[in-house]
Amino acid sequence: MSILQLQGLHKQFGNTPIIRDVSLKIAAGEKHAIIGPNGAGKSTLFHLITGRHTVSSGSILFKGQPIHNRPPYEIARLGLARSFQVTNIFPLLSVFENIRCALLWSQGYKYSFWHLLGKAKALNTRTEELLVEIGLQERRNLPAGELAYAEQRALELGIAIASGAEMILLDEPVAGMSHSEAKNAVELINRVTAGKTLVMVEHDMNIVFDMADKITVLVYGEIIASDVPSKIRGNAKVQEAYLGEVVEEHSHA
Amino acid sequence: MLKYVSWALFAVALIVLPQIFTSILSVSILNQMCIAIVFALSYNMLLGQGGMLSFGHAVYFGLGGFMAVHALLAIENEQMMFSVTLIPLVGGLFGLCAALFIGSFSTHKAGTVFAMISLGVGELIAASSLILVSFFGGEAGVSGDRTYGPPFLGFDFAQNIEVYYLAAAWLFLATVCMYLFTQTPAGRMANAVRDNPERAEFIGYSARRVRFISFIFSGFFAGIAGGLFALNYEILTEQNLNAVTSGNVLLMAYIGGLGFFIGPIVGAIVLTLINSVLSNYTDLWLLYLGLMFVLTVMFLPRGLTGFLMMHRTPWHLGKLHLLAKPYAVTAVPGSIFVFSMVCIVEMSHSNEPTFNVFGFALDPSSFLSWGALIIIACLAFIALRRTLPSLRDAWDTANAIDTKPGVRP
Ligand SMILES: Nc1ncnc2c1ncn2[C@@H]1O[C@H](COP(=O)(O)OP(=O)(O)OP(=O)(O)O)[C@@H](O)[C@H]1O
Ligand SMILES: [Mg+2]
Repeated sequence: MSILQLQGLHKQFGNTPIIRDVSLKIAAGEKHAIIGPNGAGKSTLFHLITGRHTVSSGSILFKGQPIHNRPPYEIARLGLARSFQVTNIFPLLSVFENIRCALLWSQGYKYSFWHLLGKAKALNTRTEELLVEIGLQERRNLPAGELAYAEQRALELGIAIASGAEMILLDEPVAGMSHSEAKNAVELINRVTAGKTLVMVEHDMNIVFDMADKITVLVYGEIIASDVPSKIRGNAKVQEAYLGEVVEEHSHA
Repeated sequence: MLKYVSWALFAVALIVLPQIFTSILSVSILNQMCIAIVFALSYNMLLGQGGMLSFGHAVYFGLGGFMAVHALLAIENEQMMFSVTLIPLVGGLFGLCAALFIGSFSTHKAGTVFAMISLGVGELIAASSLILVSFFGGEAGVSGDRTYGPPFLGFDFAQNIEVYYLAAAWLFLATVCMYLFTQTPAGRMANAVRDNPERAEFIGYSARRVRFISFIFSGFFAGIAGGLFALNYEILTEQNLNAVTSGNVLLMAYIGGLGFFIGPIVGAIVLTLINSVLSNYTDLWLLYLGLMFVLTVMFLPRGLTGFLMMHRTPWHLGKLHLLAKPYAVTAVPGSIFVFSMVCIVEMSHSNEPTFNVFGFALDPSSFLSWGALIIIACLAFIALRRTLPSLRDAWDTANAIDTKPGVRP
């Protein structure tokens, strides 16, 4: 059964169409990669799904429910979490508080002003566990804005996965990381998204072909192919439009 | 543990202070401080914790205060019967109602939009206070009498010291509540929304709702401060809800330090002292206050509290003493410079033929006075510039973590 369903999605900024007639089904539990050249509209697609942008036309169904044009917080509460390509954290809050805030809603605290966070044992334990998981426990008291780049990326990921959402959208989670940092991040992503639905935008083809059950290729706002990795590799259209050299490189590697 | 000790010290200070400073003037200053602290803390719920820059916070203070005076009048006219100890609560609830209404549209956005709406609403309420005479009493304001209600534990609040202890109790209670608010999910999300409203929405929180909650609490506590004001002065006028009062509370929070819970407390204490003490000595105290604000914004963006907190690292490293001498060395030309500048300013303002400053007779009409002061100011400034590098070096050394001997970095 598909957990996310995009139907005839269009998005234009002014008169410029950025997303053109995108239809896609993502099955529950699937690891789905979205690839495509710079400016293809991958991030825009994520913004549409998570409510940051309104759609120009078309519909988005999450667990059978229409979620397009609803505010981001309502979509997040349904169990759809995301990370950002450009680090988007709470810079003055400590690393610990960043993660704890990301946990609050899913732990049922809502807008409570009658609970004291210091006394919320389960919440604090879970926060500590997550800090260990993303490898930032030694940085826990530092303001997030003072972290090094790779650490901020780890925190970005931590905020996205904290709520334990069923479906997680990651926008270039390892971009800008060194080889070993990226390797750790991929292991972390695999670990925390086990059993969940993952949609990931990624430029590193090694990672994409290792992780993904299915790959969608987006070029100029249109899906030119969406299939299992082995079929994508052989797809002539993909070869021509985008992948050619990269895939060859990968298969020689 | 440290937390409980601080709270205990706070309580003790509130109890003991009027026993040390017993004069009528000092008790009145202490009363003003209690009011100012509650008001400034409520303001910081918006600006420091929620990232909402308000130019109209006096609205909630003033409306709470006016309502409190009307409650006093109702007690006096025997329309209602309750102890005046509850008057601040009346102010708070009215401030909360006002904030519920105004916040419902003003918290939509933070930033410039919020600031402009707060300014507009502030002007609107201040202007209508002169028109709606039945509630605001026009130019004369409304006044009441706090001694009518049933006595509370035998006190009838005829004396200022009784009012002080009532205000201190409310101050303590309000401070504890505002502190606890910062420790709740709503309070912590206010910080998150201040930092990054967009991301807050992607973790399930409506930035608008989070701001709205902070806003109504802030209005509530501002109203309590207004109620305390009503009890203390027994009169409220248009001045209590206009832009000057709004500006004043901004100064308090900013000069004290927005980033710290105790920042506004420090700011409220310092500014109340400046207002009441400095204004006895010079007509120009507002000028000095303005300069102080500008200098704080330029050189101490984290306020006085931030400045003190900067010394935590040297303290932990056990190197605070290294700073004593450089501070003293800088303070000498620094204070001479400030003093001579003050003399120059006062001289250009003075209408009197001569006046005395620390035994120096200064004559505004004589070139000698002017010349001497200008030369002194220039020399002190040059000396100050020269001492600064060594202060900076000392600061760096005091903050440097020593590497162990023999270990190369
Ligand atoms: N808010 C906006 N207004 C106007 N144009 C936009 C806006 N956001 C994105 N675009 C344009 O839409 C196109 C797609 O951008 P998008 O960020 O989705 O690409 P992408 O596939 O994520 O690229 P990259 O690999 O570089 O991240 C770009 O040409 C961009 O300039
Ligand atoms: Mg992108």
